[in-house]
Amino acid sequence: MAMHLFTRSFTGLFADGFCLIPQRTFGVSAAAAAIQKMTRVRVVDNSPLGNTPYHRPPRVIHVYTKNGIGKVGDKVLLAIKGQKKAALIVGHRMPGQRMDPRFDSNNVVLIEENGNPTGTRIKVPIPTHLRKRMEGDYSKVLAIASSFV
Amino acid sequence: MNIFKCINPLVCASKLLIEQSSVFTRQCLVAKVPCHRRYIRRHLTCLTTCSSHTHHLNKKRCFSEMDSGHRDLLTRSDVIRDESLEMDGDSNDKRHPSQRPPETFNLDVLVALLRQENAADICVIKVPEHIKYTEYFIVVSGVSPRHLRAMALYAIKVYKFMKKDHDAHVKLEGKTADNWMCIDFGNIVVHFMLPETREEYELDKLWTLRSYDEQLSKIPDEKLPEDFIYDLEDTK
Repeated sequence: MAMHLFTRSFTGLFADGFCLIPQRTFGVSAAAAAIQKMTRVRVVDNSPLGNTPYHRPPRVIHVYTKNGIGKVGDKVLLAIKGQKKAALIVGHRMPGQRMDPRFDSNNVVLIEENGNPTGTRIKVPIPTHLRKRMEGDYSKVLAIASSFV
Repeated sequence: MNIFKCINPLVCASKLLIEQSSVFTRQCLVAKVPCHRRYIRRHLTCLTTCSSHTHHLNKKRCFSEMDSGHRDLLTRSDVIRDESLEMDGDSNDKRHPSQRPPETFNLDVLVALLRQENAADICVIKVPEHIKYTEYFIVVSGVSPRHLRAMALYAIKVYKFMKKDHDAHVKLEGKTADNWMCIDFGNIVVHFMLPETREEYELDKLWTLRSYDEQLSKIPDEKLPEDFIYDLEDTK
């Protein structure tokens, strides 16, 4: 998972082997822009490409929108395991509309070039406002989702 | 895949049930007379065995066949705008009220047209109320990518004919994919897949078993690390 890889370098508490409650010496700010280039994302489907461990977390290298900011439902290009893969954003840490869910991690579902999802199941809850967006093909991702938020 | 190559014979077949467009009839009658006759016979035999809601469509077809000589009477809002009979400012549907079908596009109509299109393995799943996605989930197999596209486009065509003014238009998703296409009708979602794709994704199993699905249980549980940051300090 992307999360533990970057928090490891920050806390520096792994020297003694175990940590009870991490004493943070830094502050975490609210997200400024949702998903942009170089963000580390979490792949939430059961595809082998997204789930095999690699020494580098998957990063976004391009966002397919007019401005470089990716929100829920935008297509992005990821660099995973040394290869490029298209993906769809299904949740981000930045707060959006009032009644839309906010996630604790930037979630992404891998997508092929023709729009079919690479994995076959998604365990993580998917926001239902994805369906209201007209500009994109989301029914396939909603069809393989197991829970909705 | 060049979509336009497929559409012309498909249009020829599908519009016979929705004989409103004089432009299309002109093209078909002039250019492809043999195929037109063959499809008329096929549709007539299919329609006599169908239920009563499609019987009405059959009557509509006969009406337009008789009046094919008087082409100025038949209009279609998205083809010929200046020949509309009534200038109604409220509705976008410029068809004459006698040309609008009284039935609504519901599950029965959709399943009937899928059966008529020789769809294999029609699976209709009633989605429970607590899943706020849709009411009915349909998975359909096709023989070839062309067959899938034909079925999907025909379903959209019938929907456009039968929809009322307050119904939104429907988008076909997966146009660039050749093995999986879907249409979201609001309360019904239809997925057209090839048999191999269907085996790979197993949507029927997921939507009937929901949390007891085996592919879902095969996903290993993710354990969060101890130093995972849960709360967010708002420093602004």
